[in-house]
Amino acid sequence: MGQLTILGLESSCDDTAAAVVRGVPGDARVLSSVVQGQADLHAAFGGVVPEIAARAHAERLDECVKQALTQANTALSDVDAIAVTAGPGLIGGVLSGVMCAKGLSAGSGKPLIGVNHLAGHALTPRLTDGIAFPYLMLLVSGGHCQFLLVRGHDDFSRLGGTIDDAPGEAFDKTARLLGLPQPGGPSVQAEATRGDPKRFRFPRPLLDRPGCDLSFSGLKTALLRARDELITDKGGLTEQDRADLCASFQAAVVDVLAEKTARALAIYLAESPAQPVLAVAGGVAANTAIRARLETVSAGNGTRFLAPPLALCTDNAAMIAYAGLERFAAGETDDMTLVARPRWPLDNSRPALLGSGKKGAKA
Amino acid sequence: MPSDTCVLGFDTSAAHCAAALLCGEQIIASRAAEMGRGQAEHLFPMLEAVLADGGKSWSDLHAIGVGIGPGNFTGIRISVAAARGLALALGIPARGINSFDATQIDYDDPIVAIVPAPRDQFYARLAGKPGQLVGKAELAEYAQPVLPPPAPGLLARNIARLASQGHGIIPPAPLYIRPADAAPSREAPPVILANDT
Repeated sequence: MGQLTILGLESSCDDTAAAVVRGVPGDARVLSSVVQGQADLHAAFGGVVPEIAARAHAERLDECVKQALTQANTALSDVDAIAVTAGPGLIGGVLSGVMCAKGLSAGSGKPLIGVNHLAGHALTPRLTDGIAFPYLMLLVSGGHCQFLLVRGHDDFSRLGGTIDDAPGEAFDKTARLLGLPQPGGPSVQAEATRGDPKRFRFPRPLLDRPGCDLSFSGLKTALLRARDELITDKGGLTEQDRADLCASFQAAVVDVLAEKTARALAIYLAESPAQPVLAVAGGVAANTAIRARLETVSAGNGTRFLAPPLALCTDNAAMIAYAGLERFAAGETDDMTLVARPRWPLDNSRPALLGSGKKGAKA
Repeated sequence: MPSDTCVLGFDTSAAHCAAALLCGEQIIASRAAEMGRGQAEHLFPMLEAVLADGGKSWSDLHAIGVGIGPGNFTGIRISVAAARGLALALGIPARGINSFDATQIDYDDPIVAIVPAPRDQFYARLAGKPGQLVGKAELAEYAQPVLPPPAPGLLARNIARLASQGHGIIPPAPLYIRPADAAPSREAPPVILANDT
């Protein structure tokens, strides 16, 4: 098969992104990857505001595409196909991306490929390190947390996932409760290095139950209670209190992720993969304490631990272009009726973890 | 512009999908459909149908005219994002035409162009002023007659006409008028004390 050049677009949360990737499945490289964050737009609101995000995406995406093509020294006429995140995510942003991509596709005559954002994350280890199927993926971010057994570019088995919040949300909430800056991941981690992880005994939800599902909302509540007790006691938090709360919170997240990862690994290794790999993706994978424990768990199980560079772990369009490349190489394309989907689970064989109402499963 | 100039105009600013193809001075094809949802899936098939009706292809176009509202936020984003993608791929300008201009195009007398907004309100543009959000009661107080947008098909034809005359903003951007519905975070951070000694 010849080399494929794919343009990718991503706009499912608060990053507007475009990228160009060239290669074949399992052996591709990133020619350009443009990511425009929106942290400044949402800072005053303590979280991503969907309407504000959608407004920014609609007016920035085409500019990102221009930049990505220029940086890749490529013209639209040189690409083989246009890949775009078609869900899951904040629907206003996803719609902006899908419509921009349809315009690009119609105007250039290039095929359109809808990509599942989660598949983009899950296939990233094949872009960065060319690893073979099957591998185990822990996707852990501000919006998602799930274990995926990846057997093919469109063959994912979800071994478990969060039944409520994602860990990234819990880090952000912790930062807000403690007066630390957003995003919460880096600021809570920095505080935790100065704190005592054993001072507060926070719950490790669902560890007492079998399986790989996780829960983080109770942990948030426990942190809030501990904080409020301290404030009632002395009218505020000392810097040491805050550092100890962060360290104890982070220790609970690490313990839960480590134990559930060990269980997911056991299921994966039962399939006797030739070269077992545990890969992580998502912004929370940047946390050094989490990463260190997952490395230990992997090493203890004779499994290679793989964490793609942070820029390809967090939301980006190179992963969308690459996932599109895998779909295109398999002969799969979409037409102009491609639907933007707020909810789109990767593994439809499993019961829904979240949002099982009339709108269907979220993830 | 030369007489054979072709402009494709389209609009999804309310519960409809509408498109019109103008070549020279003539509207040579147009289509419109009422729809409460599904605009994102129907827009491009409709645009392709209008081009086919007029015997033209994408590469025959010299400009895009796109309705930028005011109107349904998601609807105007659908068209604006599509127009920006098309403009980039075709290397032609996309001109953003607001609904007030597209409503008023054939009226020489002073009028107030209005567009229905949620909760019994209206977007209204008085002569010489930017569009604003007003209540029903205020409409009755205007000295000039008020004029709502035409039917979707005519709206798209007017957008194509205005774009062919060089009107509109480049690059197109939605005309929201109403700010995003978002309240600043109410959580006050805790007081941070010096460490216990």
